[in-house]
Amino acid sequence: MNAPVEEVVYIVPILDSTDVLKARQSARELAARLKLGSADQTRLATAVSELTRNVLQYAGQGQCKIIDASSDTQTRITVVVEDHGPGIPDIELAMRDGYSTSGGLGAGLPGVQRLMDEFHLISQSGHTCLTITMSRPRLAL
Amino acid sequence: MTESTDFNLSHFIESHQDKLLESWMKGLLPEWRRKHPQSVDEDTLRRQSRQLLDGLAKLLAGQLTESWEPPLDHSITLLLRNLSSARVKQGYRAADIAHYLVTLKRVLIHALLQENLTGDLSRFGDLLATVEIATDSLTTLIYEIYAETRERIIAQQSLSLLELSTPVVRLWDRVVMVPLVGVIDTARARQVTERLLESIAKFEATVAIIDVTGVPILDTSVAGHLMKTIAAAQMLGARVVMTGISPDGAQTLVKLGVNFSEIPTRATLRAGVAEALLLVGKRILSIKEEQ
Ligand SMILES: Nc1ncnc2c1ncn2[C@@H]1O[C@H](COP(=O)(O)OP(=O)(O)OP(=O)(O)O)[C@@H](O)[C@H]1O
Ligand SMILES: [Mg+2]
Repeated sequence: MNAPVEEVVYIVPILDSTDVLKARQSARELAARLKLGSADQTRLATAVSELTRNVLQYAGQGQCKIIDASSDTQTRITVVVEDHGPGIPDIELAMRDGYSTSGGLGAGLPGVQRLMDEFHLISQSGHTCLTITMSRPRLAL
Repeated sequence: MTESTDFNLSHFIESHQDKLLESWMKGLLPEWRRKHPQSVDEDTLRRQSRQLLDGLAKLLAGQLTESWEPPLDHSITLLLRNLSSARVKQGYRAADIAHYLVTLKRVLIHALLQENLTGDLSRFGDLLATVEIATDSLTTLIYEIYAETRERIIAQQSLSLLELSTPVVRLWDRVVMVPLVGVIDTARARQVTERLLESIAKFEATVAIIDVTGVPILDTSVAGHLMKTIAAAQMLGARVVMTGISPDGAQTLVKLGVNFSEIPTRATLRAGVAEALLLVGKRILSIKEEQ
């Protein structure tokens, strides 16, 4: 059995709304290539859409890295979305359903956590980093 | 041999205007003609370029410091604006437009070198520097104008795309439908809402179908926009039926915690149409059943 090797498949700079499309299409493309089902592709693409849109809206710009961390037994996609904006002052509050500082639905962050298998958020003034992972057992061939 | 101390750049350009213009056009035209055979209007170009040389001569009569920038309302600025924006529309690339002034700079420097101004090397260096400052800042300017014009054209194009992409269809008496296709951002959502409200009022519609089959991702931002559109339609007294949410999309929306529960939704447009007709007291029957 091989040790899991992380391969950064896409790095998408997030500068304007076309990059949100690029990021989520890339995520969907990788999920499809790794033979995840269409529901999972949609989940992953939606999560990436939420996080990159937040970057644009609250930090102005940032970056989205899409990583294939699959092993023999697992299909595993990790997405790291990072920005150098103002940061999230109260993470607990931001993770609450319905909390929004922009008049949005406030469903983005808590929704992404529910969509994904792993969810890490660190944030301080000048640096916010979200790491999300979707993993599925790999069917034996 | 001319003493460079007495040399006046402004006079030089004025008195050599014809010759400079000839060399300039000779350096420029072959390339422009090759790239844009249809659109090189030589007479206009010559007239404009002559005006530019005039303007440049006037400009150089004064002192140019290194931080000099052409003022916005300067005749040269207006001239370049004209020249550049007309060419953008004809499909000239940024490099073609920069080439115009780069050629002028070469021609000027070449002409100065031929004047044998070697009497005072440091004064000669100053002259070259002045030509450099003037032509470089004009190049920067023309480039900025080019980019600005391009952006405006692109903005106009996307605006008209926006207008094309939101038809509101009258399906039946008092039933309208808006098929959403593509990316729903704030501008788009506002426009969809406006169109839908207009049509509801115009056709006295009581039911509006919003079909999202063509929307690639239903995330919270799209959902938020849709909710506002729906609320606005309801305020005009229309009932809204949503169609075209795929099973994957529906699952994802539920996970996100987005809730359209008060809106009747149908998986397919077909089912949505049936639902909408029911709401206005109609239904589709096969001809046989009717007889
Ligand atoms: N990258 C970020 N930098 C700074 N603040 C952020 C960032 N991402 C989220 N936030 C803050 O967290 C709040 C919650 O984000 P969340 O995505 O859950 O909701 P929202 O963006 O307000 O609305 P929506 O439901 O449309 O996503 C935001 O309103 C914002 O204040
Ligand atoms: Mg959000």
